[in-house]
Amino acid sequence: MLGRFDYQRPSTLLEAGRLLAGNDGPTAILAGGTDLLVDIRGRRNDPRILVDIKRIDALRRLDVDPAGELTIGAAVPLNEIIERAAIRRTYPGLVQAAESIATYQLRNRATAVGNLCNASPAADMAPILLALGACLVAWSCRGERTIPVSSLFVGVKKTCLAPDEIAAELRVPAPEPGLRSGFLKQQRLRGHDLAVSSVAATYAPSTGVLRLAVGSCAPTPLLLEPIEVGRSSRAAVEEKAVRAVQAAMRPISDTRASADYRRAVLPVLVRRLVAAVLAEGGAP
Amino acid sequence: MPSGLTLLEFLRERLYLTGTKEGCGIGECGACTVLLDGKPVTACLVLAVEADGCSVETVEGEATDGQLSVLQRAFVETGAVQCGFCTPGMIMSARGLLRRNPNPSDDEIVEAMAGNLCRCTGYEAILAAVRLAAVAAQRASGPLTGEAATDGRRLLPPGSSGKGGRR
Repeated sequence: MLGRFDYQRPSTLLEAGRLLAGNDGPTAILAGGTDLLVDIRGRRNDPRILVDIKRIDALRRLDVDPAGELTIGAAVPLNEIIERAAIRRTYPGLVQAAESIATYQLRNRATAVGNLCNASPAADMAPILLALGACLVAWSCRGERTIPVSSLFVGVKKTCLAPDEIAAELRVPAPEPGLRSGFLKQQRLRGHDLAVSSVAATYAPSTGVLRLAVGSCAPTPLLLEPIEVGRSSRAAVEEKAVRAVQAAMRPISDTRASADYRRAVLPVLVRRLVAAVLAEGGAP
Repeated sequence: MPSGLTLLEFLRERLYLTGTKEGCGIGECGACTVLLDGKPVTACLVLAVEADGCSVETVEGEATDGQLSVLQRAFVETGAVQCGFCTPGMIMSARGLLRRNPNPSDDEIVEAMAGNLCRCTGYEAILAAVRLAAVAAQRASGPLTGEAATDGRRLLPPGSSGKGGRR
């Protein structure tokens, strides 16, 4: 037995919103459960009510609208994103990040929205969604609001979401023409460890703008200021990117790596990824 | 049913289907892998109530009338079973893989099985087993096809371990 809680399985957002707005004690939203159920088992979280959102049809969306905006519903597991050919083509960095998470079994349960809402500094979906300029749509009985992923994280494992809000879906803006993207992560053991450090990048040849975001090197994932590539050499852009990352990172030492190691390894990842997205052909 | 009961506990302690094993209990080891609506998941991180209305397949569904499945026989013949604790989870991950990809490359096998830890075999025999099962299922028509039982026939020629090098 994982714990003592009531299990609710609403079929509409309204029903879910009412459960969350009620005053029946601490309530947790259950999507994939790959973080939540582990935390309940480890007594780090002790909700009275679990609201399973997986049977809410509105949260199962995974589609691209005519304008090119991608919607990822809160109940969509990572493997669905990975297996969608259109997403592999348009956002390779998003797929690389999703594929880097845990194991095949867990990716059949774990969701992109859940990975963000868990708000780990090491959340693998965060850097690429930051670099892509994604927004999270939060829904509650009070209404709906759109939160840029860059404003979502307020601390280690803390988001700006209110207790009655449901992170309903992610919206990834339509890509600029020819947009390239990529994700690189340093980890000790494939499939069985969190990131030591990670970096995501997007580069739009049409505008010459390079966007970088990094994970596991500060209390929250960080989006850096965009870099105008212009006519700079690849080496000069790499140098600029590394300096920007070094100025922003505030790594700690933990069980996975020392702060010094993170300071040493992240620039290597940044150089590799920047070189790859600037190179003809795009993603690494 | 208590809300806190996991699918793993439900299978083992209510249905007495003890083929599915509990290793770590936190989704790391894969010993409790089952197919939920055809997809491999770790049953320790699924609540039994979440599986309401879903199909659940466990290792108990592999053999038919006491005859091992092709996949099970491949594990036996390649020596992919030592202590056996990881085997049911390995079999279910491999079953999920072969169903979505009947002819996987070694890299695809490794990726599909990366969530299943084994402390005995060193994994090479397990890789050989999945490779053999894929080949045997493709090669054979009739009783060897797909998930049918093997009627006790060997998949490998006598004296072969099926291991060899990686493709």
